[in-house]
This record gives sequence, C-alpha cells and structure tokens, in this order.
Amino acid sequence: MSQSTPPSSRLLRLGVPAAAAAMLAALGLFALSLDGRGSPDAGTRLVVTAEGCRPETLSVPAGDTTFTLVNDSERAIEWEILDGVMVLEERENIAPGLHQPLTARLAPGDYTMTCGLLSNPRGTLHVTANDEAAPVARLARQDFVAALAEYKVYLTLQGRRLTDAADTLREAIVAGDLETARAAYRRARLIDQRLAMATGLFSDLDQRLNAHADDFARRENDPRFVGFHRLAHGLFTAGSTEGLAPVAAQLVEDVRTLTTRLRRASIPPAQLAEGSARALQVWLDHSGDPTADQSALDARERRDLHGLTQGADKIVSLLDPLLERRAPTLRQRLHDALDTLQKALTDSTTADGADRDALVADTRALVDALQELNPALALNG
Amino acid sequence: MSPRSLLIAAAAFGLMALQAPARADVDPEALVEPVADYKLYVLDNLDAFVSHTRDFTRAIKAGDLERAQSLYAPTRVYYERIEPVAELFADLDASIDAREDDYEKGVDDPDFTGFHRLEYGLFKQRTTDGLAPYARRLMSDVDDLESRVQGLTFPPARVVGGAAALMEEVAATKVSGEEDRYSHTDLWDFQGNVDGSQKIFALFKPLIAEEDPAFVERVEDNFAAVEATLAHYRLAADDPEAGFVSYEKVSDADRRALVGPVTVLAEDLSTLRGKLGL
Repeated sequence: MSQSTPPSSRLLRLGVPAAAAAMLAALGLFALSLDGRGSPDAGTRLVVTAEGCRPETLSVPAGDTTFTLVNDSERAIEWEILDGVMVLEERENIAPGLHQPLTARLAPGDYTMTCGLLSNPRGTLHVTANDEAAPVARLARQDFVAALAEYKVYLTLQGRRLTDAADTLREAIVAGDLETARAAYRRARLIDQRLAMATGLFSDLDQRLNAHADDFARRENDPRFVGFHRLAHGLFTAGSTEGLAPVAAQLVEDVRTLTTRLRRASIPPAQLAEGSARALQVWLDHSGDPTADQSALDARERRDLHGLTQGADKIVSLLDPLLERRAPTLRQRLHDALDTLQKALTDSTTADGADRDALVADTRALVDALQELNPALALNG
Repeated sequence: MSPRSLLIAAAAFGLMALQAPARADVDPEALVEPVADYKLYVLDNLDAFVSHTRDFTRAIKAGDLERAQSLYAPTRVYYERIEPVAELFADLDASIDAREDDYEKGVDDPDFTGFHRLEYGLFKQRTTDGLAPYARRLMSDVDDLESRVQGLTFPPARVVGGAAALMEEVAATKVSGEEDRYSHTDLWDFQGNVDGSQKIFALFKPLIAEEDPAFVERVEDNFAAVEATLAHYRLAADDPEAGFVSYEKVSDADRRALVGPVTVLAEDLSTLRGKLGL
C-alpha cells in the first residue's frame, strides 16, 4: 500500500467491522475446539471405544459425507474407510476424547471401517445410491492426471527394457550370432509394439523404427528402409546378420531418442484411445488384407499384434475407473474385445498357424470399441 | 488519517486476505510429470526394500542375531520413505509395520507380525529363536507389496498429501521414541520419513516456486533445520550408510528442538494440495 494514497474512510468503515467479525469467528472456533463435547458434531457421528465402532454399521447416501469421529477410548486411534484392502480415507492419531471431522466422497457400495485396535471387529459402511444425486459430473482435465502419470511410468519402464533389448540385438548382430539376434529381435519388437501408440506421436522416429518395405520405392533394397522390418527381413527372410550392423546401430540410437522424448512428451488424454486404435489400424492395413495369399498369419505378424494388444490393454485399464460409471456398456465391450483377442492370440501360438480372418475380425472389434471411447468420455482434440 | 487507523485498516485487510481460500492456477497437466516421477521414486525404493528385506530375513533364519540386529534399521528406511503409498494397503501395512499397541493382547497377540514383532525378538529377547516364521511372513508380505504397488495407479491427491502425512507421522510417533522402542533406531525412520517428504516437495516445488517463493523458502529452511539436527547424531558425518546413534542418546532439548520445525513443516505441507488445486 503506497503512502500517498491512504485507504478511503469508506473502506476503513467496512474493514474494521469485518476484522472484528473475523476475530469473533476465530475466537468462537477456538472456543469450540477447546470444548469439543459441548459442540454439535457435524454430519454422521461415529464413536470409537476400546472395543470397536459405535454404531457398528453405518448407512450414508452416495456423495460427500462428513463424519465426526469421537475417540472414546484411552489411546490415540486411527480410523480408516476401506474398499477391500485399499484405504480410501483415513484420520491418524486421534487423541482420546477428541472429536475429529472427516469429509469423504463415496460411491455407492459396501465398505469396511477400522475401529481403533487392529484386533477390534471392523465396522460396516453402506453407501446407498442416491437418486437425487447430480448426474455423473463432466470430466475435467484434472481427472486424467492419474491415468496420464501412470501411462508415463509405463512408457518409462518399457522404454528402459526396449533400450536393453535393442543393445542386445545390436551386439548379437555385430557378433554374427543369428539365433541370439533373432531372440533379441522378438523381445525388442514386442516392447516396441506395446509402445506403438506413443511412438506414433513422433512421425520421424515412427518411420525410422516401424516403416514397412512397401512404403519405399525400391522396397527392401531402398537405402532409406531401416528399422525393425529391415532387420526382420535380414534375420528371418534372408537368414543372415550380413550387412545389418549399421541398421542395428541406427535402431539403438533411435530407441534412445524415443525414450528421451517419451520422458518429456505431454500426451493429450484423447490420444490414449485414439492412438491405440490408430496403431491397431496400421496393423490391419498391412495384415488384414482379405486378398492376402496366406490364410494363416505368420509368427511375426501375430507377435506384433500381441504387443499392440498389450499396449491397448494398458490404456483401457488406465481409463477403466473413468468408464465405470460413465459408459459401463462400452467398458464391458472393451474388456470382452480384449479378452477375445488375447485368448485367440494365446491359442494360436500352440496351433500350426493363426487364422487370419478370425484375428482380423477380433482386432476390428477392438478398434471399433476404442473409437467409441472418446465420445463416451466427451473427449476431443 | 492517523497512523493508528492506518494500522487498523491494514490489519483488517490482512485478516480478510487470510480468509480468501487458496486458489490454484496450476495447469492439471503439469501434475502428470511429478506424479509419474514419484511413482518411479517409489519403485526404486521398493526394489531396494525387497532386496534389503531378503538379507534381513535370511540373517534371522540363519540364526545370526548380530547381523539381523544390524540390518533391522537400514531395511526399514525404505518402507518409511514410501509410507504414504505403502499404507494405502491396509492389510499389508498392519502385517508389516503395526506396533504391539495396535493389538489387544500386545506382543502376545497371534496377529502381531512384521518388523516390530521381529524388533521385539531381536532387541528385547535378544534371540532369533522362534522368529523364522515371522521372517518368512515378512518376506512374502514385502513381495506382495511390491507387486501391488507396481500395478497401482497413484492417486495424485494422495501423492501430494503424502508430504504432510510423513511429517505428521514423525511428529506423532517418531519424536516420542515409541516407534522403535526396543531397538532405539528411531532416527533412521525419522530420516526415512523426512527423505520421503522432501522428495515429494522437491518434485512439486517448480509448480509453486514462482507464485509462492516465501512458502518455498520457509519449507526449505525448516527441512534444513531438521536435517541439521539429524546430522548432529550421525555416526559418521560423511557416510549416510553408517546411520545414527541410539535414540536414547538424543537429548531432551534436541527432541524438543525437533518438534518445532517438524510441526511447522506438517502444517505448511498440508496446504500443498490446495496450492496445486487438488
């Protein structure tokens, strides 16, 4: 506040009573906190004695509930609301005699409560569905923080493993060890496919790592054809490590660039489902051709699809809590599509060859369900 | 206008300002990275926790009392660092870290297991006899914890709230010396809680540093004060692995001196959620 412009007397007249009121309110709160027993407890009252909760069973409507916890035992206690074994809410170290408020936002369902000593019987908390409760709130960007953070952890951990596998692959190729190189290729490629949604955000890297021979004018002989498919062409079709060392060295470098970029990438929430669908669609574009000359998928096409499905599964699991109340039917469809596809992929590893038409149909069903996910969550962009 | 009325006016505006709720202008997307980094921190510590628990429980099963005693505190440190996440699993938190006071029959309660049951055997009864079943149970609980945490999507509000929860934990049970009443290794746990709280603060600090430099400075000063007191009781000033003297040797004056900054930290850090809009 500058000295040349003192506050107007009008503001002063407002300010002084406001200060007085604030002080009175503060004093009042202080007095209440000194004598908790004398004050009316807010919300639902629960007393914890040396033997357990009183009452043992509570029933509250869904939404925000304020509990007042009264410690009527001789020792400091903690009180928790549990969903199975997971702690949803807790208050620790409530001193004997204290009245402690706790506000929790609860979804309908049955929960348990810890009541003082661990050897005391648990209490039961019924949360009943509330017809008058507001319809499911529109999602805010904040609701995606947990999912996006967990996805970042996934990308980081998978990225570390991809880097290791790529190093092993390069070493085996340099040493001319075909069998070790093939095994390392399979491991690295599986992880690469799990990350396909995120890699797709960087078109330069995506092209260097994942482009097919068909994407180039001179196909296999095109000098710009590098990455996984170029290595596979050498290791599996030509059956040799000959001339692959520079391609492997480039791959190792690209994988390192990818992991660095993934650490910093900011992924828009809508990309989770959309990007997963797109990555699966790329696989369909190459392997889902009904005029393909082979009715059975080869092992590499099948393994690629396996990695892609694992990546999509991770994303669906991350969005699961958001879908649970907003789009339960779609959520079920996604789980069914993933289960069907994963089972078909597992079964086909034991059979002679995987049935192309069946796997293509299962993959399409998953893509279709993924494409409905953003509209269901009212996400765009 | 008299200086006195100016003063009253200033006090009035000050009070009104204090009543305004803390508003956060933090972009939710900015929270993604620190929450992810925190999970990576927890996973690293969990990894170390599993391997230290393996050594600790092996020493017990081998009947090596001295080694088991020496591994007790260095193993717990990792649990104490990640406690805000570890204690989300109520069943494991009880079987790994509950104290005898949590049970009706105290040390004789058949459900009393985990670190503090082993502490009772190793430091009070001074024997590994009869502890092997508790050691096996602890190892399997810790393995179980690791796989559950790996699969857990961290709730952001819990992560941020963990900074204050850890300091409350210190204030509630560490300063009094009741946590490790037989081994008197409380300072190890103390350091673990402070480490874990500081890590969370450091991860989210960039999001509030510009808007609230005074808050950041106060928190850092208080962390420094706590660290300075702890450093005073290290066995070797330049080797954190060497650990701490017995808590019995910490003077009453220092115990009281710790309460101040720890309590202020717990209060300050409890505003972090609001500042970040959680």
